[in-house]
Order: sequence, then C-alpha cells, then structure tokens
Amino acid sequence: MSKKIDEQTQKNLAILKEANRRSTLRRIKKYRGFYVMFLPVFILALVFHYIPMIGNYYAFTDYKGIAGAKVNWVGLANFTKMFSMAAFHSAFWNTLFLSITKLLLNTFAAVLISLFLNEIVNIHFKKIAQTIIYLPHFMSWVVTASVFTLILSPTSEGMVNQILVSSGIIDKGIYFLAEDTWWKPMFFVINLWKDTGWGTIIFLATLSGISPDVYEAASIDGAGRFQKMRYITMPALQNTIITVLILNLAKVMNLFESVFVLQNDAVLSTSNVLQTYVYYQTFNSGTIPNYGYTTAVGLTKSVVGCILVLICNWASKKVRDGRGIV
Amino acid sequence: MANRVAMKKKKMPVFSVVNAIIFIVLCLIILIPMWKVLVDSFDLKTAYGMKLWPEQFGIAGYKSVFTNPSLYKPFLISVIVTISGTFMGLAISTLGAYVLIQWDLPGRNFFAGFLLFTMIFEGGMIPTYLVVRALHMTNTLWAVTLLPAVNIYDLVLMRNFFEGIPTALFESADIDGCGPVATFFRIVLPLSKAGLASIGLMFAVNYWNNYTNFKLYITNQDLYNFQMKLRSIIMGSDLPQANGGATENTVKNAAVIVAILPFMIVYPFLQKYFVKGINIGAVKE
Repeated sequence: MSKKIDEQTQKNLAILKEANRRSTLRRIKKYRGFYVMFLPVFILALVFHYIPMIGNYYAFTDYKGIAGAKVNWVGLANFTKMFSMAAFHSAFWNTLFLSITKLLLNTFAAVLISLFLNEIVNIHFKKIAQTIIYLPHFMSWVVTASVFTLILSPTSEGMVNQILVSSGIIDKGIYFLAEDTWWKPMFFVINLWKDTGWGTIIFLATLSGISPDVYEAASIDGAGRFQKMRYITMPALQNTIITVLILNLAKVMNLFESVFVLQNDAVLSTSNVLQTYVYYQTFNSGTIPNYGYTTAVGLTKSVVGCILVLICNWASKKVRDGRGIV
Repeated sequence: MANRVAMKKKKMPVFSVVNAIIFIVLCLIILIPMWKVLVDSFDLKTAYGMKLWPEQFGIAGYKSVFTNPSLYKPFLISVIVTISGTFMGLAISTLGAYVLIQWDLPGRNFFAGFLLFTMIFEGGMIPTYLVVRALHMTNTLWAVTLLPAVNIYDLVLMRNFFEGIPTALFESADIDGCGPVATFFRIVLPLSKAGLASIGLMFAVNYWNNYTNFKLYITNQDLYNFQMKLRSIIMGSDLPQANGGATENTVKNAAVIVAILPFMIVYPFLQKYFVKGINIGAVKE
C-alpha cells in the first residue's frame, strides 16, 4: 500500500520536475532577448576582470614577458622576496596611512562644512557656495597636480612661496612637493581642497531629511543653535558618517593616480604606495620587467583589499539594516 | 517657516555674518588657485607669484596651444575617446542593468553575482596589462575606450534607477506583446532620461580626465590624450614652442585652462545631474 503511494509520489515528482524544466526552458526561450543584451558586459567583464584574476597565477612564477622563454613555477619565492624588500613595507604602510588619514580628514571636513552650509539662510548664496566648492572634484588629478605644482613652485612664479617670503615667515622658497617633510601634509591639503566640497552632498541630503518640526520643538524648549546641532543634527548624521567611512574604507588599497601625479623622484620613498610601487617596478625599473614579482605585490594588494571589502560589507549590513556595500 | 527664519535672523545675526564670512573664505580658497592659473595664462610677462591680475595682457599663450599640432591632436583624441567611450559605457551599463532587474529571468542571480564579484576582488594592474597586451590592444584607442566602459559601479547605479520604474508598466507591456528589446527602447530608456544624463556625465568626466589607462596602455605619443600631453608639458619635458611673446609659464598655464575649459562651460548647467547621480547611489532607500 505505502509502496504504491511512494511510487505515485515519485511519478508526480517526475512530472512536476519535467514541467518545471519545460517552463524554465520556455522562460529561457521567451527571455532570449535578455541574454543577448547581457552579452556585451558579460564578455567585457570576462576578458578584463576574470581573465586577469586567473592571470594572478604569474605571482607564483618567474614570468618576465619574454616570448618563447620557459615560465618556471617558483612557488612562494616572489612573496619571500617581497617581504624582504624595505620598499614594499614602506609602500604597504604608506598606502594605509595616506588613504585612511585622507578619508578621516576629508570626512571630518565635509561634515563640518555641510553643517555650516545647512545654516545658510540665503538660498542664492547657498547655491553659489555649493557650485564653487563642488568644482575641484571634476578636475582631473593631472590638472590638480599641475595647478598645485605651479602655485607651490619654489621659484618666483609660485604664489604660496612668494606670499610666505614677502611676509617674512620664511627666508627662501620651500619646494613643498619635493621635500620629505612637506609631501604628506601637502597631499592631504590638496585632497581636502579637491574633494571636501563634493563630500558634503551626501551629508546635506541627510540634513535636508530632518523635519523642521524637530528644530521648532527644540526652539520652543529653549535650545540654542549649538544645542540643536549637538542633540538633533549630529545624531542624525551619525549613521551617514559611518556609512561613508565604511564605503570608502573598502577602497583604501586602490590609491594610485593622486599619489602618482603628485610624487617625484625626490620624495619617492616617502610617497610610494603599493600601486605606484608596482608601476615603477614594472615599467620604470630600468631592467626587464619582472612580471612575476610585481604580480605578487599586486595580488597581495588585491587580497588585502578583498578582506577589507568583506569586513566593510559585514559592518555595513550590521549598521545599515542588512544593506551591504556590494 | 518664514516666521522661524525671521526669528533666527533677529536672534543670531552674528552667527549668520560669521557663517557667510566662512563661506566667502572657503570659496576664495577654492577659486584662488584656479584664478591664479587663469591670470597667468593671459600674462605675457613672467608671472610673479602674488599678482592676481595680468600685468601685460595677451592671448599668445592660447595661440601657442591651438596652433601647435602636437597639442591639438591630443585634444582631438580626448574628444573622440570621451564621446565614443561615453556611448559605449552607457550602452553596456543600461543593457546590463536592465537584465539585472528581470527577477524571474533564469540565471539572473548568477549574472548579478558575476558582476558584483568583480567589485570584491580585482585582477590587478599587471595581469590586466598582460591581458590587454596579449589582445594587441596596447597602443590602440580600444584599450582606453573599452576598459573604462565596463564600470560595474555605474551599472549598479543604473539598476537602482531602473528599479524606480513601476513594475506595472513592464507587466502591461508584456501583456501587449511588447518584447524585452522593444520594452527597453520604448519604456525603460524614455523613463530614465535623468539617470542616463547623470551616469552619462559621470562617464564623460571619467573619460575626459582619464590618465591612468593612457599611462598604462599607450606609449605611442601620437595617441596621447590631452591629460597625458598636459602632464608632460608641466613636467617640462615636452614644452611646445612659446611664440608671439608668450613665456614658458604662460603656455603651461594656458594648457591647464584648455584642459578644464570644456567642462567649466557645461558645468553650471549640468550640476544638478551630477548631484543626482551621487544621490541615486548613496541615499537609495
């Protein structure tokens, strides 16, 4: 008896499965247009993202890019070499130091400015101020570096040095972008100049979401402007600040162009980050590029970056009600 | 509301004044470096650092930039790459994003994972370079046009934007026998003009400002874009001949201005689209 039921169930299941398969096939057929539409991004992502991922196996070889030469498996030799290089260690810590400090400074400045921006009563003045402070974000790093190279120049053309010299603060021009003690502070200043304004947008969006009624009620209770800022505005911004920090923390390992265009031979050891180190080692080392070694450095960077993304994603889900960053 | 503003004004005039001063100073800090470059680009005398107005006005710096073939060719390459790249990037991301909102498409989740994984783990500079080289794309404009066109971040922004389209529209289109392709062109694209504008602008700025990809994949000077050229001018290795009374410094400053000019002209009119772009990404609920 029960055996018969089992058989029946099996049969039904098989029919269901078949129907399901057919309906899937039917849906695939019906939606075939979508697969064609997905093709461009699929192929490009495959070629420019997935094949390079596989290409990371060069990190375990002595590949030097010479056609016809035999590529030998060298195990972890490239990584052992990497950890013995002082330049790698300084580039690694520099990457973390420069991008995290930059992130904290820029976020702090953006929050501060958006708080003040939010207090501007005259709408036209506010619009003009916003337009101006967003502007530098759209200038390329090459242009930004050019502008600052020109105005920070130690010669008579450099505005900053001229002002400092003529006001008697210093005796002769400082080559700000070519001195070890000045390079990092200048890097942060230039980053603040370029991206603080743009960074305010997200905070302003949060601020405009706070109901005026809350402020009204606080005023009636006798709260002053700074008390309102402290007890209403800041708590509302807290979540956005954490979100911004998490989203950007995931990207800290990618620092490249901004450093690359601002550095020069004189400050290479203080300014090098992992990506610029990889670039110089590969394309500017003066010898045959050791792709195996530089891939190993790049792979280390990608793995650390990946771990950071996963941690940030986990943190984001905790803080933002289950919304991850990827 | 008006009452509240009036009350504020009466109560804290000092704060408003201080706040206004803070922003005037901030705007000056942003503008002075740019202004200085602009002034020096029009100044035929070797510029002294503190001048904020040209001593001897002249446009010879710009003449040197625009009459020099080694400079207008990079400018043209920038224009070509920006236009073709923006279209390519928009096509790839809108198509991809449209597929990602088809929730009952078999394989949809696989596609989403396939794209998102590239945001978690990246191939890296050298393996990507080796792939581009193996495809014989180094020293071709393909490398600098195709690579930035696959921007998964922008694709996700586009998807967020598409998700705002009411599903009822898709259903009725389906009932009326409108296929996926027709739906895309007749419903999705016309309803996403604002999204297309902001993401298209992001692509355009990206392409115009692109330096890293050129630096990595282009060694042939004939294929340099304006950013590459500007870089070598500023580094002093490749200064075009200054003529008509322009000094070296005038030409350098004029070249910087030419690099930002196209953007400066359109920026005031398009600012809201840029801001919108960041808001669909970040404040999406």
